[in-house]
Amino acid sequence: MIPPVVEICNLTRHYPGGVEALRGVDMKIETGEFVALIGRSGSGKSTLLNIIGGLDSPSSGYVHINGIPLDYSNRSGLIALRRSRVGFVFQQFNLIPSLTAQENVEYPLFFNYRPPRERQEMAARLLTMVGLENRLSHYPGQLSGGEQQRVAIARALVADPPLVLADEPTGNLDSSTSEGIFSLLRQLNRERGVTLLVVTHERELGAYADRMIEMRDGRVIT
Amino acid sequence: MNRIIEFFQLAVRQVSRRRIRVILTVAGIAIGVAALVGTVALGDGIRTQAVEAIRTQSDLTLLEAIPGVEGNIVYLVTPTRVSAIEMLPGVKASAPMVLGTFTTRGQTYVQVVGIPSGSLGAVLNPSYLRGSAFSPGSTEVVLGAELGEKLQRFEGVRIGDPLVLLRRSYDARGRPVDEEITVIPVGIVGERGDEYDQALLMDLDLALSLGDGEEGFSAVLIRAEGPERVFQVAEGVKSLGLSPRGSFEQIEAVNRMMDMVVIFLGIFAGLSLIVGGLMIASTMITSVYERTREIGIAMAVGASEGDVMKMILAECAVLGGIGGVIGDLLGAAVAGLLNTLGGPFLASRFGDAFAGLLDTEIALVSWPLLFAGFGLAVGLSLLAGLYPAWNASRLNPVEAIRSGR
Ligand SMILES: Nc1ncnc2c1ncn2[C@@H]1O[C@H](COP(=O)(O)OP(=O)(O)OP(=O)(O)O)[C@@H](O)[C@H]1O
Ligand SMILES: [Mg+2]
Repeated sequence: MIPPVVEICNLTRHYPGGVEALRGVDMKIETGEFVALIGRSGSGKSTLLNIIGGLDSPSSGYVHINGIPLDYSNRSGLIALRRSRVGFVFQQFNLIPSLTAQENVEYPLFFNYRPPRERQEMAARLLTMVGLENRLSHYPGQLSGGEQQRVAIARALVADPPLVLADEPTGNLDSSTSEGIFSLLRQLNRERGVTLLVVTHERELGAYADRMIEMRDGRVIT
Repeated sequence: MNRIIEFFQLAVRQVSRRRIRVILTVAGIAIGVAALVGTVALGDGIRTQAVEAIRTQSDLTLLEAIPGVEGNIVYLVTPTRVSAIEMLPGVKASAPMVLGTFTTRGQTYVQVVGIPSGSLGAVLNPSYLRGSAFSPGSTEVVLGAELGEKLQRFEGVRIGDPLVLLRRSYDARGRPVDEEITVIPVGIVGERGDEYDQALLMDLDLALSLGDGEEGFSAVLIRAEGPERVFQVAEGVKSLGLSPRGSFEQIEAVNRMMDMVVIFLGIFAGLSLIVGGLMIASTMITSVYERTREIGIAMAVGASEGDVMKMILAECAVLGGIGGVIGDLLGAAVAGLLNTLGGPFLASRFGDAFAGLLDTEIALVSWPLLFAGFGLAVGLSLLAGLYPAWNASRLNPVEAIRSGR
């Protein structure tokens, strides 16, 4: 039996100053699922994603990725996780302005010690997949918001991680562009089998997902 | 290795994004390197010129070993030491000598040098203006160029004619007694440019018979095998307790003086290098601050703390490298300027003595000097980058990405 991609048990996260961003989250995401995470501002969605992706550590509780518990005290283990087992997509696109679209997509492979030629080929292939084959050598400043987010999605996928975490990927985009991004995500999920956990504010975009998880005050309510 | 090159490629991309700032930042290091290269080049050039002048104008391979003093012990020129010198490495020939002072009837002061007739040729290597060397066991003598001319002009002394030398000593009651010796000049030595031009050379046995016979030798005259062995011979002489003398001391003096000059000027160059390093540190701190978000992204996509440090340090090395190259070019340009303008300037101010500078290089730029300048710039920049790089590697990725910078 294949273990779930993500399994979370009783996860909490307290910030200094008494804020309890997560108050005991349980969650299970199966391989190949496209899950939309919704909830009011401040409900702890970003906090949860950062902990799953190894960018932040929980106060208590467990996170299992592909059945293996994450050890948050092991720095190199977290780095290995970020290198090849999760991909991140952010609301602000977060591309490196001094690098071209292709170089931005190559960036994670650079830290994966892949040779330059392989990096370039992979990046070009991924950019073609997100429909940007004509924008390889454009800089982020020369791309529209939707195009930048497509570059960011290509970057999240380039190291071929089984799981992609997207935190409000359409938060800075208009509604028709947003739908384009979600249908792209849906398509990548179907074609590549990548598991997606996507935060969104808009319930109607949740329709693209297999299921929706709603959070409120640091807990999962559905 | 490939990995390092890739970090550098990335660094070049980052640096080329901020051209103006890079140029301003790098100016400090560049000026420091230029000052250093210019100073050392000038020092080396003048040093080389001076040493070359000493080499060509004086008899560099000729040394004298005179009695040495260490504390209150005097090391005399004993026959044992004379033969020890003969055995020193780098010594081609050596001869003991005795010195004495005489006057002529015409009150001309004469420095008498007694030297074995067999060694005269090998050690002093004289060329004869007129006549030839004295023969052993005779009263024949040879005159230095200036002495010969003086005696001929003012006292009518000619080769082959007897010459009376007087030595004044004092008897038991303190009255002056003049002792007379008659010698026969048989040759005049060509001009050498040293104290032997004033000397009267005679056979060692003759000279010993004139003295009290108790003083032993005055010195040992040494001919080194070549200019490059001179300092070795001087060291050997020192190791025997004797004191070496010769034109090599002028080279030592020049080296000492130029070392002082270069160190003194180098301190100023070093100060501007330090300022340059601080500028790089400040620029990199700013750059890390401005790119907090980028560093967070790099961490989110898999950069380790070491990777982040390498990225920042590679940028510092690139800045330092640019500064080093610009500095080297500036320094070489300054040296070139000194060579084209400085020589004629010195020649016009100080006259003929410096005429030789007209067509030679007074500032000497060498590859090792340029490499040293470059290496110093890169090394200093890396040092300046350690703190910003460490800071960058300690960033919290979540906060860094959220920082909005
Ligand atoms: N570094 C921090 N220090 C203190 N409190 C924090 C910190 N980060 C987040 N919080 C708090 O934790 C709670 C959850 O924040 P989080 O960013 O996870 O919410 P969110 O669901 O992503 O909200 P949004 O939809 O607005 O992005 C909030 O109350 C927030 O103020
Ligand atoms: Mg959020």
